[in-house]
Amino acid sequence: MKSGDSTTINVQESGPISKGKGPVLAAPLPRPGGWKKGAAIFDFVLRLGAVVAALAAAATMGTSDQTLPFFTQFFQFQASYDDLPTFQFFVVAMAIVAGYLVLSLPFSIVCIVRPHAVGPRLLLLVLDTVALTLDTAAGAAAAAIVYLAHNGNPNTNWLAICQQFGDFCQNVSGAVVASFASVVVLVTLVIVSAIALRRV
Amino acid sequence: MEAGDISKGKPGFGANKGVSVLDFVLRIVAFVCTLGSAIAMGTTNETLPFFTQFIRFRARFNDLPTFTFFVVANSVASAYFILSLPLSIFHIVKSGAQNSRIVMVILDTVVLALVTAGASASAAIVYLAHKGNTRTNWFSICQQFNSFCERISGSLIGSFGAVVVLIILILLSAVALSRRP
Repeated sequence: MKSGDSTTINVQESGPISKGKGPVLAAPLPRPGGWKKGAAIFDFVLRLGAVVAALAAAATMGTSDQTLPFFTQFFQFQASYDDLPTFQFFVVAMAIVAGYLVLSLPFSIVCIVRPHAVGPRLLLLVLDTVALTLDTAAGAAAAAIVYLAHNGNPNTNWLAICQQFGDFCQNVSGAVVASFASVVVLVTLVIVSAIALRRV
Repeated sequence: MEAGDISKGKPGFGANKGVSVLDFVLRIVAFVCTLGSAIAMGTTNETLPFFTQFIRFRARFNDLPTFTFFVVANSVASAYFILSLPLSIFHIVKSGAQNSRIVMVILDTVVLALVTAGASASAAIVYLAHKGNTRTNWFSICQQFNSFCERISGSLIGSFGAVVVLIILILLSAVALSRRP
């Protein structure tokens, strides 16, 4: 180094590196998480809520049998979820969604630990979208049948069965409401993942 | 700011342009699907030539509230697809846009939930119309109303196709958002 000039080595600046360090290291320095870490924690908490809602929906529908104490000659005196294939689909689909949400919890934790990682975040977004579709399909199909069970349809001569099977109807309606709660949570999860994918 | 930075432009977003073009094309496909479904369900009207004392002799989509919801949901979705085309064109032009892509993902997710709800609720009713249910004494209406049944079954195809397209659209937007040039 010539005298008279400053003896600083001409190194490319790259972010908040303290002065006096040697040559630039190749390893990426851990950046502070910032708002992405908060979003990842929010995602994790929402995911726990969605697990509870999906499990509650599957369990409520699965245990919703009712046997009437009396006998009528026109109607069956027993109602269970497996009398209707739509409700069978509902139980299976909600169980799959609940299982997926439990299995996605580790990925969510990875996103908390590494807030700037794109891979797990993108994977979670895509799988959450598929789970959302399955969940909405199950919930809406069951809701259509529950609506029929409550109101019947005079145009097709389908009679409302809720007047006979009150408890069954209540359980089944509660299960549908729980599944729609998990749909709302999944929509929020997709939105949070999309926002957290920003380049900032 | 180095001198070379300005002339480079945005090299990392070249692939985003292809993604945005595919997004535009898929949006048009989804528009056609949902519009076709809404029209196919909305123009159902079958009148039986004979008279039976137990069954109505005319079937239309608004005899079942679920089908009314299906027509409304698919109409709203097709209107959304048309209205989101300008935003899609904006993404082709400006491939690095982030906030508008996030808005598009949010709207796509909401419309996905809506279309899936309409399609699957109608699928449940169509299944009932085909098979009936002996435990609840709901009997299948398809044996009387053949062309009505065919129409309502066929209109589900477009709607479920739009669901698949919407999932792909959300995936494309997410991939475009996640690019780090």
